[in-house]
Amino acid sequence: MAPLLDVQNLVKHFPISGSRKTVQAINGISFTIEKGQTVSLVGESGSGKTTVGRCILGLIDPTGGGIYFNGRKMGRDHNVRHRDVRGRIQLVFQEPAESLSPRVRVADLLAEPLIYQGVTRPDRERRVLEIAARVGLPTGLLEKYPAELSAGLQQRIGIGRAVITRPEIVVLDEPTSALDPTARAEIVDLLIGLQRQMETAYLFISHDLSTVRFISDRVVVLYLGSIVEEGPAATVFATPRHPYSTGLLASVMLPHPSLKPEKRLTLVGEIPSPIDLPPGCPLAGRCPFAEDKCRAAFPPPVALGHGHLVHCINHEKVAAMGAAVDFFGRFQVLADRILGVAPTLEKDTVQ
Amino acid sequence: MADFQPATETAPLLRVEHLRVSYQSFESAAVPALRDIDLTIAPGEMVGLVGESGAGKTTLARSIMGLVPRPGRIDSGRIEFRGQVMAELPDEERRAILGRHLAMVIPNPRSELNPVLTVGQQISNVVRAHSKLGAAEARQTALRMLEAVRIPDPGRRLNAYPHELSGGMAQRVVIAVALACEPSFVISDDATSGLDVTVQAQVLELLQDMVRSRGASALFITRDIAITAHFCDRIAIIYAGEIVEIADTAAFFDRPAHPYSIMLLAAFSHSGDLRRRWTRTEIAVNGSAAGCAFAPRCVRRQPRCEAEHPALRTTHSGHAVRCHFPVEG
Amino acid sequence: MGLVRYIGRRLLFVAPQLLGIIMVSFFLVKLIPGDPAVLMMGPNASQQALDELREKLGLTLPLPQQFLHYIVNVVHGDLGTSWQTTRPVLDDLMDRFPATLELVTLALLVALLIGIPLGIVAAGRSRGPIRKLADVYGLLAGAIPDFWLALVFIYIFYSTLHIAPAPLGRLDLEVVAPPIVTGSMLLDSLIAGDFDALWSSASHLMLPVMTLGLVNAGPILKMTQSTVERTLSSDFIRYAEMCGLPKRTVMRQAVRASLPSIITIVSVLYGFLIGGAVLVEIVFSWGGAGQYAVQGVLNADLNPVLGFVLFSAVFSLVVYLFVDLLYFVLDPRTRG
Repeated sequence: MAPLLDVQNLVKHFPISGSRKTVQAINGISFTIEKGQTVSLVGESGSGKTTVGRCILGLIDPTGGGIYFNGRKMGRDHNVRHRDVRGRIQLVFQEPAESLSPRVRVADLLAEPLIYQGVTRPDRERRVLEIAARVGLPTGLLEKYPAELSAGLQQRIGIGRAVITRPEIVVLDEPTSALDPTARAEIVDLLIGLQRQMETAYLFISHDLSTVRFISDRVVVLYLGSIVEEGPAATVFATPRHPYSTGLLASVMLPHPSLKPEKRLTLVGEIPSPIDLPPGCPLAGRCPFAEDKCRAAFPPPVALGHGHLVHCINHEKVAAMGAAVDFFGRFQVLADRILGVAPTLEKDTVQ
Repeated sequence: MADFQPATETAPLLRVEHLRVSYQSFESAAVPALRDIDLTIAPGEMVGLVGESGAGKTTLARSIMGLVPRPGRIDSGRIEFRGQVMAELPDEERRAILGRHLAMVIPNPRSELNPVLTVGQQISNVVRAHSKLGAAEARQTALRMLEAVRIPDPGRRLNAYPHELSGGMAQRVVIAVALACEPSFVISDDATSGLDVTVQAQVLELLQDMVRSRGASALFITRDIAITAHFCDRIAIIYAGEIVEIADTAAFFDRPAHPYSIMLLAAFSHSGDLRRRWTRTEIAVNGSAAGCAFAPRCVRRQPRCEAEHPALRTTHSGHAVRCHFPVEG
Repeated sequence: MGLVRYIGRRLLFVAPQLLGIIMVSFFLVKLIPGDPAVLMMGPNASQQALDELREKLGLTLPLPQQFLHYIVNVVHGDLGTSWQTTRPVLDDLMDRFPATLELVTLALLVALLIGIPLGIVAAGRSRGPIRKLADVYGLLAGAIPDFWLALVFIYIFYSTLHIAPAPLGRLDLEVVAPPIVTGSMLLDSLIAGDFDALWSSASHLMLPVMTLGLVNAGPILKMTQSTVERTLSSDFIRYAEMCGLPKRTVMRQAVRASLPSIITIVSVLYGFLIGGAVLVEIVFSWGGAGQYAVQGVLNADLNPVLGFVLFSAVFSLVVYLFVDLLYFVLDPRTRG
């Protein structure tokens, strides 16, 4: 059976007006998402992850390659605007405050996607109540306007709007970046809970690795529009094999002084602009392991088992250093101790 | 009231005592933004101030600078910087201190740097406002600062405009502006929240190096508690305008005592069970005004928490905690 | 580099813009009721004479064809003749447009000298006498019609105090006009070294310039004040305050950042005044272009009207191009 979403050799180049140069946002990437699965696209701004999301929704036409939703190619006459697809692929934005119309009540915001599906009014009202309960919006808030609510609650509305049509897949574009860490954790828990109930697949686009770690089944690491590493989330986070993923993970800060960002592995400089990229591995300019061979051609994938793929000729050298980076694993041990104490009080200490 | 002076013998650089700030409003009663803040920072010390948006972090930073955002007002308490009460200084004297001895690193450099002035002009403007240097010398200082913040090709960047810089680069420029006059105290207000993780790590590292190598102090304001673990000597947690816990970094992360501090850490845990254990998911109505501000969200809430406002007190492990039932041991 | 290309692209659009303006005004002007032939020949003309005249004027042709003729003539530098003055419209406008331009330009300078400093100072403070003054001034300047102020000035300075000359044109009757070089009386007198003419033209300019200047300082004041106020509460000014920059420097940065908006309103005002000064021109018998066009409208003399529209349009386009160049200099973000 075909996967739910199949991205095949996707390419997207944007011409620059008044110039012969192009922005090479995506340069031939392939991945699949199965029913009820969460795949995360991670990478810095400029890596092309948002462009992938927009291509999947059919908001922009790819330059090359194809996107197959339930085996059918997405394109001009088969995208989210069409009746067959509408409501089956949904989107959640980064800035809830900006994506929600300020003059519409919460209840109407939630009901809006159903109108386009032709759901009758009594049905809409019933489903709004049902979805509000599912995303943790008290019914008292349904008559309010989004600006009266906190960012965390606003994002619940954004998620409610997305899942109210019972989509098969939701594209989440940085849904937690604008939130405080505590609100972020709550939203992630909500998403995980919804997925269990509704068997929705998620494409989770984020540069926030802590959140990605919570939620993903598979992780796809993007750099300048190319996939450099992909695999099961736990494997990639614990044993990254590409210098870029390793550097990315080494930069993550977790709340304990013993988990210092690993300086030996941090990538020098910043991501270059994706205009007229040279051939070869896009990371070559920033990579401590780069050789001439890296600049000649983009390395083919090396399979490391269990679906873990890495595009690096020096992945073994990286593995030797990368072992030090399993911050998430180490933090979990600390967290177990710190958070492991009983939160509620014993009766006798209350006095 | 307990005294939270750090172990050093020297007089504090910054002393905030019983500070109360509220936002005035025509329609309703004044909204308290800061409630009874006590905080001292010693020379050379880096203190992290962690809290959610709306907790009063930025109000505190602005109050320290003597620039309380309107319609805010200092109701009571005092702020002393280098022995001087900032709020009482005449405008000219306050300007002489800001940027010179007390510098600010801001979060959105691309909207907060002047869009029509070059990077070089913006740094030299600050240098010239606080020294007798001429234009050429100030430009030299600007160049030196761009080198110091490790901006590639500093000579060329001197003539760049803010919109021509990447986010990370602009953040480095802001650090250059802040440290150009060798201030003794730097406030960083959520300075890296908009950056990618790799750039964020580099910029924070740089800020820490620059502050430490100059023997300056810093107040490091952020909503991301993870950052403070790696760059600060002491951690202060602020909730709803009150400091709810202060401790040395090692002690704090070894055993956070306030339920809110623990909740902040829990947000990073991979285990959903542990996260939920410390987070109240049901949205409670506002707690009583008399009780603890955190009570409605607290998993350890007891009847006493609703009735009595907890004072900041020191636990066995040396944390100052504003909680009737802190986690100890 | 970018600048040259930018100007080139702008100039490319000038011709179609002008064509559009002429087309719209041509057909609108044709909607004005009134038969030029009747007005030209007088009420006693025979039907045959009228028909011949209409034929001669091309009024019998269908409108699109008339328009085409007009365009072809314009391209050849022929704006037609005015039957009132019996002179080519181009010659008439070459005389009159500079008169209006001189008046309006000087008035605008006066308005800027009053409006901008007052607006900036008022923006810097929320109370005090200067702020009061600015508020009252803005209100009055918005409420007082310019022709009324002109009449008051004439009453005070001409009729009562006898300081100003009679409100009859640009020079005293006994003064010989200097040879035309620029079209501006002041400049031409200076070039000719004719100080009698210089004095006479300056004193005639005095009252109309003050009238228009004082009235139009109002919108400039208001616009400057609100723009500078908005800039003063912007992020980068707050940052400048945090850096302890002196108050004067902060103010200078705020004004600098406000300049593009101020320039925009000034340029719009400049273009507007070319026609908007007409009432003041009439009160002072200025003999300017606006007056000429209004006469044309009232007497179904259409060529002067169209000529005036064309001149004003060209003028506005030149002003806007200049403004865009100023933006280019002032705001580095437009140079991308």
